[in-house]
Amino acid sequence: MKRTTLEFRMPKVNEVLGSAAAIVKGMSVTFREMMQPTITDLYPDAPPEFEERYRGKHVLQRDENGLEKCVACFLCAAACPANCIYIEAAENTDAKRISGGERYAEVYNIDYSRCIFCGYCVEACPTDAITHGHGFELAGYSTSDLVMRKEDMLAPVPEGAHFPLLVPTAVAGGGGH
Amino acid sequence: MLYNEPNPLETRVLTKRFGIPNSEKAEVYVANGGYQAFLKATGMPPEKIIEEVKVSNLRGRGGAGFPTGLKWSFVPRTSPKPKYLICNADESEPGTCKDRLLMEYDPHQLIEGMLIGGLAVDSHKGYIYIRGEYRYLITMMEHAIDDAYAHGWLGKNIQGTGFDFDLYVHTGAGAYECGEETALLDSIEGKRGVPRMKPPFPAVAGAWGCPTLLNNVETYSAVPNIIRDGGAAFAALGTPKNGGTRLVCLSGHVNKPGVYEIPLGYPMLEFIEKFGGGVRGGKKLKAVIPGGSSCPVLTASECDIIMDYDTLAKAGSMLGSGGMVVIDEDTCMVKAALRIMRFYAHESCGWCVPCREGTTWLRKMLQRFHDGMGQASDIPIIGQVSKNMLGRTFCALGDAAAMPTISIVEKFREEFEAHLDGRPCPYEHKPAMALA
Amino acid sequence: MSDIVHLTVDGKAIEAPPGTLLINAVKRAGIEIPAFCYYDGLKLQAACRMCLVEVEKTPKLQVACTLPVAEGMVVHTDTPTVHEARKGMVEFLLTNHPLDCPVCDKGGECELQDMTFRYGFGESRFLEQKQHIDEKQWSAVVYFDRPRCINCYRCIRVCDEGMGLTALGITNRGVLAEIIPNEHDHLNCDECGMCIDICPVGALTSGMYRYKTRPWEMKHVGTICTHCSNGCKTTLGVRNDEIIRGNNRDRSGLNGEFLCIKGRYAFDFTHHAERLQSPLVRRNGKLEAASWSEALAEVAKNWTAIKQRGGRFGVIGSTRTTNEENFFLQKFARQVLGTNNIDHHRSGDVPTLLDALSGRTDALATTADFYERKAVLIVGADLSQEQPFLAWQVRANVRHHNAHIYVATPGPVREDRVAAASVRYQEGGELASLENLREKLRAEPELVVAFGDAIQGDAVRQLVNFGDSLGVPVKYVALLDYSNSRGALDMGLLPHLGPGYHAVDTPGMSLAAMLADESLDALWVVGANPLGRHVLAASKPFVVVQDLFLTDTAEHAAVVFPAASAYEKSGTVTNLCGEVQRLEAAIKVAGTKPDLEIFGLLAREMGANLGIWQASKIFEEIRGSVRGYNIPLPILTTGGAAQTAALNGHVPAPPRAERIQAAHNTLFTSGSLGQFSRTLQVVLEAPGALYQGR
Repeated sequence: MKRTTLEFRMPKVNEVLGSAAAIVKGMSVTFREMMQPTITDLYPDAPPEFEERYRGKHVLQRDENGLEKCVACFLCAAACPANCIYIEAAENTDAKRISGGERYAEVYNIDYSRCIFCGYCVEACPTDAITHGHGFELAGYSTSDLVMRKEDMLAPVPEGAHFPLLVPTAVAGGGGH
Repeated sequence: MLYNEPNPLETRVLTKRFGIPNSEKAEVYVANGGYQAFLKATGMPPEKIIEEVKVSNLRGRGGAGFPTGLKWSFVPRTSPKPKYLICNADESEPGTCKDRLLMEYDPHQLIEGMLIGGLAVDSHKGYIYIRGEYRYLITMMEHAIDDAYAHGWLGKNIQGTGFDFDLYVHTGAGAYECGEETALLDSIEGKRGVPRMKPPFPAVAGAWGCPTLLNNVETYSAVPNIIRDGGAAFAALGTPKNGGTRLVCLSGHVNKPGVYEIPLGYPMLEFIEKFGGGVRGGKKLKAVIPGGSSCPVLTASECDIIMDYDTLAKAGSMLGSGGMVVIDEDTCMVKAALRIMRFYAHESCGWCVPCREGTTWLRKMLQRFHDGMGQASDIPIIGQVSKNMLGRTFCALGDAAAMPTISIVEKFREEFEAHLDGRPCPYEHKPAMALA
Repeated sequence: MSDIVHLTVDGKAIEAPPGTLLINAVKRAGIEIPAFCYYDGLKLQAACRMCLVEVEKTPKLQVACTLPVAEGMVVHTDTPTVHEARKGMVEFLLTNHPLDCPVCDKGGECELQDMTFRYGFGESRFLEQKQHIDEKQWSAVVYFDRPRCINCYRCIRVCDEGMGLTALGITNRGVLAEIIPNEHDHLNCDECGMCIDICPVGALTSGMYRYKTRPWEMKHVGTICTHCSNGCKTTLGVRNDEIIRGNNRDRSGLNGEFLCIKGRYAFDFTHHAERLQSPLVRRNGKLEAASWSEALAEVAKNWTAIKQRGGRFGVIGSTRTTNEENFFLQKFARQVLGTNNIDHHRSGDVPTLLDALSGRTDALATTADFYERKAVLIVGADLSQEQPFLAWQVRANVRHHNAHIYVATPGPVREDRVAAASVRYQEGGELASLENLREKLRAEPELVVAFGDAIQGDAVRQLVNFGDSLGVPVKYVALLDYSNSRGALDMGLLPHLGPGYHAVDTPGMSLAAMLADESLDALWVVGANPLGRHVLAASKPFVVVQDLFLTDTAEHAAVVFPAASAYEKSGTVTNLCGEVQRLEAAIKVAGTKPDLEIFGLLAREMGANLGIWQASKIFEEIRGSVRGYNIPLPILTTGGAAQTAALNGHVPAPPRAERIQAAHNTLFTSGSLGQFSRTLQVVLEAPGALYQGR
């Protein structure tokens, strides 16, 4: 690159005024924005904010009684294009009731090293048991850490829930179809 | 039940011996001209007997109205198998109560009719399948049969004619479905009473797979009169193709309900007026169920017709089993439809899908409707669900449930609309009619 | 009357033989008429009303499943009326259906689901309260959920007609109509699971498969049942190397859809807790886990030493291992160990039968003959208990072809109900009792004779003479115990006969003789449990056992190898009729090896060269060298069954006649293997005395 020599010339008054006006105009934006609430997330110093429909780590929901909504129908696993959901089903008994339906997921694993967060599992779920939460801190030192178990994804038992609770065995006993 | 007062306008053919005491005694029957037709028939070739029945234009009195002579001619006389003669006395159609009177007041007329049937189709064993609820009739019929045996009108070599005939009473257990002829056969065989596939028809393969002649009580009871007086005389009583007289069971909102014998082709309104004494309380006629609960309902304006099989068919209904129900202006037709459907949902045997599910669906829907929770969209659905049953069920029970419902929805739609929007039944504060 | 009827369906010209039902006739034109209650081979029902079609010149829709084709018939299956009727029927079916597909075991392979998708409404107009009845458990394997039931009566019909049991019936009427078991609240039956299999919806479900998985999650492997000798194909559903269910819904094997409790449920021994998963070597008097190399070396060392000092070997083969394994085993015994002391648990006198029929073709029955031939004679066997598939064939034959069945047994059997004549005999009077049937049998156009171990030795020849004297074509089959009992005989696991029933130079000791021989030095038992009912006379023989479990015999062993079961290996097996079929490995159980591999490793360890131990290579050798086994490979490789050819030549009798004793397993026993099937142990009927004395 060719070096150029700086040549000094006295500015004209109108140029000075023009520059000052430009600075004021520019700074006015800055000062005005300083008054506005921040939109920059301060993550990791503060929790990030998400759009409501952000698709993060899954949450396995419970009903108002604290019973798991999942009835282990395997439809999420069938819908999953990445084949990352593994389920083993078991039958609820009166002594041990886990879900509101006749069966529940004894094992429910999602392999987050394979999950593509497409949301098909959520769409497939007939009981609204699986939803996308806003969890996104899914980094780990080993891929095996990324296989989340049911306990890692279950929603907390809602307050005031009597869990476990004995309910009739019928899943769709009445009402229309 | 007491037999209603006979009406002088009646044409008493089958009922002419009604009211004679000790009717279950064979002697009494013989003393009143009984068993003469049988003796006459023994001297006739079987073809001649069937021909005589054909000439009489007698049509099945059970409900379907199939020409009786034709049915008799279908039974293969030459079959090496035993042939059975069965009388369908499983009278369960709501609104119908004629067979019980025929058995109660003139049991030997039925026995004689069956004997003639036995001669015609070369059968030597008969069963009378009596509805389970007719307990008292079972005993009466058994007494009559015992007396017939005692006097040589049943058993071996009847009256020296060389003809053998054994007759038994078999009782149902209270299923409407067993009035369907093939379900009746299953029931007689000791099985669950569900209808059979047709063909083969009972005339060819009926009870225990053998040729079987199956007729209604009234049909058999008409036969001795036909043989005695000739088929032509019987035919002359009715209209062309609709021979003879008919026992009509008039019930509902009339002043004088009862069973009346009238010739086929009698005008309906005149019948209600002259026999039934008009609509009860001088109210206006709203509708008539002309032949038992399975028949489409006729509105008052459609009732100005004569009563025979063909005319009623033309009017979109049926003569059915003769159970005429008169409905007055204060009756809720939604409730009438509900009452009918409750019966069919209860009586559906459960064999085929449309009847099993359809009757219950309609019952629940009509109940909800009548309770004031109906929606405007339900009205066409009631009709559509009925039409999905009509003609698509295994036996006629589905049709029987669908036909009155379709006719009520079509003809009394405004009554359904009056129940909408949570409104209570507009007739409920008035005395509700009791159907059947 | 012509023997072809012409009709038009949806504008297509169709030809069909008279009497064909419309629902079947249209299939040839690629037209589907949907139905639930219609089921090929069972009585007509006409209850579901799904198959309604329009037939010209008839006033209302006709039911295609009961309507025989007629000349000039014009049918429409694709009109708005027909579509609307189907929609209506599906809608009716769903009114009281709980629609709990997500938790229903049938979900994914449910005919009602399929029909709803294909023919149903997209939405429901049913707003009323559904009727609910709680689910019931009828037996260890049968659950019934009434709300899902569509009352198609398939279960009732398959139990009545197919199984001859009438264990199911119907109670109540209308919408409350409900299937009920014969003991009101539970079933007392064969537990065959045919009712579950045939159920088009999830009303009848299996206790074994209950909530285990969903159909699409499984891998399906078609293989041959390892229990009785009928050779039924069972399609195993496998997930995570575990067999979850067995059925034969695709009707692929010679058994069609039939399976008994053993084929359908008794695969559960594969994951029994007591399954051996490591070789065991006896150290200080106790069997301890050892590595494969240690165990193999231990055996090779001892065998070589015994062989060098001229010791006596005894080899007992299995009735469940494959033909390849049996062939390799006898080769090992005869060539490496240098002994003809080889035998197995024999259950039927096939060698004498083959000798008596020598040179005849068409004299050996196939399983299909039990369905097709006009008459069947059963001698000395409770077919329904011991040979369930043959019994199924016989019942179907009576039903579909009005076949005549004759029974000669010591006591009453279920076949009596369909039999044209039954005779009873005291032991020893088997052949004499047949004379009572002679006149009737002579009148039959053809006959199949099945006989159990009551007929053996000379009695077999007398039976064949009896058959010859009838003057009608007769086919025979000797009834056997286990899945490859026949293959063990064919492959020469016999002291006096080599593969293909060729006589050996110096006959060896039989099974009984080996066990009774006090100077026996080594005993090698493969997949058998002879010490379960016999005592070993020799004081300190070197016993090697290959088995799945620590059997009575294995407890006496110096070395035990953990073997793979028939569901864990490939190869071929031969059923009692000589029909060869292929096994397909469904799972692998850690720590086990197929017997063939164990043989091969042992041979290598002993420095012997018996060739490559690969099932397909050995089968090539069998095809080339064993009489009757030159069967077409394409049939086998495509999953079919090929019958071995009849022998032409003399089969020598054993030097010393010994009584053959079959196990006479019932439906709920299967030798020592059956003890490790939880299902066979838990059903109420076990140990299968159900029909005794009826």
